[in-house]
Amino acid sequence: MATIDLQNIRKSYGKNQVIHGVDASIADGELIVIVGPSGCGKSTLLRMVAGLEEVTEGELRIDGRRVNDEEPKDRDIAMVFQTYALYPHMSVFDNMAYGLKIMRLPKAEIRSRVEEAARMLSLSELLDRKPKALSGGQRQRVAMGRAIVRQPSVFLFDEPLSNLDALLRVQMRLEIKQLQRRLGVTSLYVTHDQVEAMTLADRLIVMNGGVADQVDEAMKVYERPATRFVASFIGSPGMNFLNKVPIASLPPNLDLPELAEQAQARQTIDLGIRPENLALCDPGEAQLTLRVLTVETLGADTLVHGHSELVQGHPEPMALRLVGTHRFEENSTLPLKADASHWHVFDCETGDRLN
Amino acid sequence: MLFAAIAMQKKVYFRGTWLPWLLVAPQLIITGVFFMWPAVQAVMQSTQLPDPFGLSSQYVGMENFQFLLNDSTYLESFATTALFSVSVTLMAMVPALFFAVLADSVIKGSGLYRTFLIWPYAVAPAIAGIVWLFMFNPSIGVASYYLKFLGVKWNHVLDGDQAMLLVVLAAAWKQVSYNFLFFLAGLQAIPKSLIEAATIDGASPWHRFRTITLPLLSPTTFFLLVVNIIYAFFDTFGVIHTITLGGPERDTSILVYKVFADGFVGQDLGSSAAQSVILMVLVGALTVVQFRYIEKKVHY
Amino acid sequence: MAIVGRHPWRTATVHILLILGIVLLCFPLYLTFVGSTLTRQEVLQVPMSLMPGDQFLENYKRALFRGTNAPVLGMLWNSLVMAMGIAIGKIVISLLSAYAIVYFRFPFRMLCFWTIFMTLMLPVEVRILPTYEIAAKLGLLNSYTGLILPLIASATATFLFRQFFMTVPDELVEAARMDGAGPIRFFKDILLPLSRTNIAALFVILFIYGWNQFLWPLLITTDPSMNTIVMGIKQTVPQADDFADWPLTMATSVMAIIPPVLVVLLMQRLFIKGLVDSEK
Repeated sequence: MATIDLQNIRKSYGKNQVIHGVDASIADGELIVIVGPSGCGKSTLLRMVAGLEEVTEGELRIDGRRVNDEEPKDRDIAMVFQTYALYPHMSVFDNMAYGLKIMRLPKAEIRSRVEEAARMLSLSELLDRKPKALSGGQRQRVAMGRAIVRQPSVFLFDEPLSNLDALLRVQMRLEIKQLQRRLGVTSLYVTHDQVEAMTLADRLIVMNGGVADQVDEAMKVYERPATRFVASFIGSPGMNFLNKVPIASLPPNLDLPELAEQAQARQTIDLGIRPENLALCDPGEAQLTLRVLTVETLGADTLVHGHSELVQGHPEPMALRLVGTHRFEENSTLPLKADASHWHVFDCETGDRLN
Repeated sequence: MLFAAIAMQKKVYFRGTWLPWLLVAPQLIITGVFFMWPAVQAVMQSTQLPDPFGLSSQYVGMENFQFLLNDSTYLESFATTALFSVSVTLMAMVPALFFAVLADSVIKGSGLYRTFLIWPYAVAPAIAGIVWLFMFNPSIGVASYYLKFLGVKWNHVLDGDQAMLLVVLAAAWKQVSYNFLFFLAGLQAIPKSLIEAATIDGASPWHRFRTITLPLLSPTTFFLLVVNIIYAFFDTFGVIHTITLGGPERDTSILVYKVFADGFVGQDLGSSAAQSVILMVLVGALTVVQFRYIEKKVHY
Repeated sequence: MAIVGRHPWRTATVHILLILGIVLLCFPLYLTFVGSTLTRQEVLQVPMSLMPGDQFLENYKRALFRGTNAPVLGMLWNSLVMAMGIAIGKIVISLLSAYAIVYFRFPFRMLCFWTIFMTLMLPVEVRILPTYEIAAKLGLLNSYTGLILPLIASATATFLFRQFFMTVPDELVEAARMDGAGPIRFFKDILLPLSRTNIAALFVILFIYGWNQFLWPLLITTDPSMNTIVMGIKQTVPQADDFADWPLTMATSVMAIIPPVLVVLLMQRLFIKGLVDSEK
């Protein structure tokens, strides 16, 4: 088992820097999910850990050992690829056994390891098949099996579920989580799907434009996003934003304690509030109102989409999530308020969290 | 530019300094020894004139080329080659297209027809020459015998036009198979829905062929045009050598044959080398045309 | 392409035309076969019979074991060695160089690439004399090495493999690297097995190419025992009709045609794939 340390990791292609210095320490046995939109550098980061991309600058340590210049095979890691990368001409057994054969393990040992992994992944019946004759989910399992049999100290997952249909994705997500718990292997998992990230991760690394905006536990990231980008990326439906709100024009009942000190430094702020943190209230105590456009009833809860006006003449789209089933007339106006602790305040320019 | 695309390589690659060199070494050595060296040799010889005894040679600059370009037999050979190539290309492509259209239109048995139509491709040009020579032998050939009844007195040994016709037929014969195969593939790649749409629009079969099939087939046609011309230029040596030896007179002496005849039979080394150099330039040009075409197809 | 409508007579016409085409295309070969089964006198009789005669065994035996300058059996063997040598040689060196060019970065990679590319512009026919001189200088006349070696450089095959390698997903190399495979293991365990069909298709084409070589063996083999069948047949062609042994020539022709034709017919799918691939 192992820890992974990223110290000021940078990556450039020629003059073009794509990763701008990422720091993270991953504890033994942890499952860390690197999440972000496409092009944010999350796969590049993973591939540097794998040894498939060179680290331009910074220190990469696995279990305290500097591995910047080591070949993938010497890093004691295994990787599951997005496309699975199964060898098409080899049977499931041979796919899983290939790495072990190269390690020159005894035949019996190889057999027992592969069979053990196959049992764990319910692949025992399929060992003689070629990848072509497998379903997407089965191929995915073989790719996992190939990683497991090597008994590495680190698992790397590069969007392993993105080629599966939605239903299978949810199921495999659970399986991966259980498997990782059972084996207790330190894991790095890359995905662009924030739901997958939230459900899997012990901790998240949220990447944005080559920078790790936040490295924290999933719920911390959700409740206290470090930047406006993180706030907008995590959560579905996404956080509501009220842009460039003059501090002076905030309603008196929206009392944000931290703002007093900020007031001197700036005139405006970006405000964020999650749809489920808003609640209906008496018109008298409303912090803001929502003009209803559409109502989506999902059974367990109701989503209301519309516009709100915190500042006069400056409407912003806003969503509201209510538990249970509710009905509202189109164009009706709903008085809303939220607990002060649920309001997120961001710098208009940098997007950094202010409260 | 396609040349750049062709030189492209993987994003993922291996490190190693001696291994890649070891891997390309066999190819490079053979290319160097049997392609580059002779080519350089040809260029050098083309600027030299050996003395009558072949003991020494002197540098004469462009004289060999000047001589060639003023030599009426060489210029005739150019004309002969042009006539030969165009004829072979036409004779090989038109029937091939015709049969391909027919084979594409049958529902049952097109695979069987294909089998029977493609095998002549495997016959060597030299053997094709022998086979056609046997058929058209002036005294015993079956074809020349029956031609008599059509009022044709067949003797390609004496009649230059007949000799040309015979080498064209023999050269085109095996190439029909090749063109047929590509035309058929081209036809089968045309979406049936296009044809059906035109049918609904009331277009007659011939009209449909002219306005839809033929234009859609034009990439294949152009490709085959280049391939057939290259074939006629360089791969038909065997046909000429077995049927006419370039004769009668020099009526079927195409450029490639003349290089051989002047160099090996005539022992005119300077001239043969100069001819080689001119041919190299020609192949170079044809290759570029061919690649340009592929480039176009790639960028569709 | 429905050039014919639903009319049955039109369909029939198409079939008749196709069959006619096939007959026309096959007739020269049929005649060759007929010629190979007649006696010398029968061939010289005008017009020659269009039905096979009874001299099949006699003529083929004569060709195989005696021939004109050399027994055809030996020439067949030479052709086989040459065709196999060229096909295998081209495939091996092209596979290796394509692998280096696609999967490695090394100094002068582009120069290597262009050098190989240049061979496209230099067919044997164009540089006959100097190539012959070099082969002679290297002592390659009348040897299998001389027949094979100068012909196995191949830009086409190299490009074909390059093309194919480019379609192999990068993840496979990465997976192999994660599995601890180095460049040689990756080539042997993964790339080579994946190239199987391409190799087979190319083999079919190159075998025919090698078998059908004419000019090069004509230059390089002066000793009749080293003749290949395709070039050796030229020596059997009668110069004057009186001394003609046409049946022998025709029997030799048939034997020269059969191997490559068999390859095409038996491996038709691979043959077509090879043909289409190598012209891309």
